[in-house]
Amino acid sequence: MTQASDAALYRLMSWLSPSFPVGAFTYSHGIEYAVEGGLLNDRDALVDWVGDLLRFGSGRNDAILFNAGWFAAAAGDAAALDEVVDWAAALRPTAELALENTAQGEAFLRAVRAAWPHPLLEAFAGRITDRAASPAYPVVVAVTAACHAVPPGPALSAYLHGFVANLISAAVRLVPLGQTDGQIALAALARPVSEAAQAAAASTLADLGGAAAMAEFCSAAHETQYTRLFRS
Amino acid sequence: MQALQVRWMRKMSAVTSPSEPAAGAELSVSSSVGPAAVTAQSWRQQVHGHAAISFARRDGADRLTHLSHHDPLRVLFPAPARGDIPLAALVNSSGGMVAGDRLDIAFSVGAGARGMALGAAAEKIYRSPAAACEIAVTLEAGAGAWLEWVPQETILFEGARFRRCNRVKLAADARMLAGEMLIFGRAAHGEDLTRGAVEDRWELYRENRLVWADILRMEGDLTRPLHGRAGLAGARAIATLIYAGPDAADMLTVVRDLLPQSDDDFHVAASVVNGVLVLRWLGFAPERLRVAYGAFWGALRARLARLPAALPRLWYI
Repeated sequence: MTQASDAALYRLMSWLSPSFPVGAFTYSHGIEYAVEGGLLNDRDALVDWVGDLLRFGSGRNDAILFNAGWFAAAAGDAAALDEVVDWAAALRPTAELALENTAQGEAFLRAVRAAWPHPLLEAFAGRITDRAASPAYPVVVAVTAACHAVPPGPALSAYLHGFVANLISAAVRLVPLGQTDGQIALAALARPVSEAAQAAAASTLADLGGAAAMAEFCSAAHETQYTRLFRS
Repeated sequence: MQALQVRWMRKMSAVTSPSEPAAGAELSVSSSVGPAAVTAQSWRQQVHGHAAISFARRDGADRLTHLSHHDPLRVLFPAPARGDIPLAALVNSSGGMVAGDRLDIAFSVGAGARGMALGAAAEKIYRSPAAACEIAVTLEAGAGAWLEWVPQETILFEGARFRRCNRVKLAADARMLAGEMLIFGRAAHGEDLTRGAVEDRWELYRENRLVWADILRMEGDLTRPLHGRAGLAGARAIATLIYAGPDAADMLTVVRDLLPQSDDDFHVAASVVNGVLVLRWLGFAPERLRVAYGAFWGALRARLARLPAALPRLWYI
């Protein structure tokens, strides 16, 4: 490993560690309702569910936005980055998925500016404020990676790993599943993650879209779920 | 259902001019039948239809102020029910869409005016070998306007390639109730959709700023998205209903009270995103979804705009 890739790895492990203060553990992405509704009740169903999100759901769209955000930031193209930010803010199926995305984006930006400051990151944060825009989590992580010269491929893989690991952790608590089952699910999702990252690397904003209608229904239905542990 | 559609086409084609024209000077109407492109690969002429309809407030009444259309799209103006708003009904006389066909529709309701547009019959999207069928819709509502865009179902046949973009432009305090309904395969024929391509977009701009978007996209082998647990999960139909207006967020509780209970035939849930009220319906029994959707739409317009609690008669036929 080169010194540069060591540095990149250290950064990614810091930013996308469960201990990075974005409050990821409070979001289930609609899985809490899916479990309650009997749609997700074992390990195989969990792998299917999260795999669907990566293939044609929020995971796919996050990956496309991440990729576009990284390249816009790396090129210093403010107009292109504005467009990514605006699409990320608009393409939100439900209130809770929007909350999950924005609240984590805001928290990430706050923490990373304190711990890993960079002038370009300050410029980005300033522009978000000036335009009264909403900082979507994948876009903020992508911009941070670009500012700190962390290459897009590993950065996106790490982001998607964090996305998947967090949903698994929610399901482990909700279904409930054993910790080992959670790890088996995480291993099973390595390939869908890698495929989503590769597909996103060849994408543009024109490729956004998906078909995760049941996941979106579950997220909307979660808003009126009687007993809730999670914010989404 | 097909027999009913044919009956409608016959009935509607008898009337192809506005039943209630506006004050002559302000109304512009044009209609044309232009040359259609014939490609070497297809025996059939490609279709490029368009329709543009504007309602505006004139002399204290909501009137038609612009109308143009190009075959195969035609626009009819059935008399509204008592106490209801002006209605434009779009008819696609080609009977369905295949490769390369395109329809452009623009519907606008001016400041302070109210108006409604509705498809006269279900739109059928046939199997296409290569080029997609495209529908581009622009909905525009001025200050204080009330606009309704009521869908008839769009039926995707096996192998269909379909692209639709609904672009909505709203003034700050404009109100809009709009939706779309997609059916995957001909349920009555037991047809299961397995291949094709769908891109169905909503882009909503308020004062020229993108505030909300939704993109249904799937291509190639459709089995996984149509049957995946987190995907369509075996639903044979999907519908969207959007209410945008300054009071949208405040209406969430009202909407939830009016919503039917989800069951094995259909699921529905509501949410408010960026000030837009969004309802997503999954239909496992498309015909029940349609009935529930129509009944809810009627109840909602009554509650939001004190309009008759029903859709135009045309919708129920």
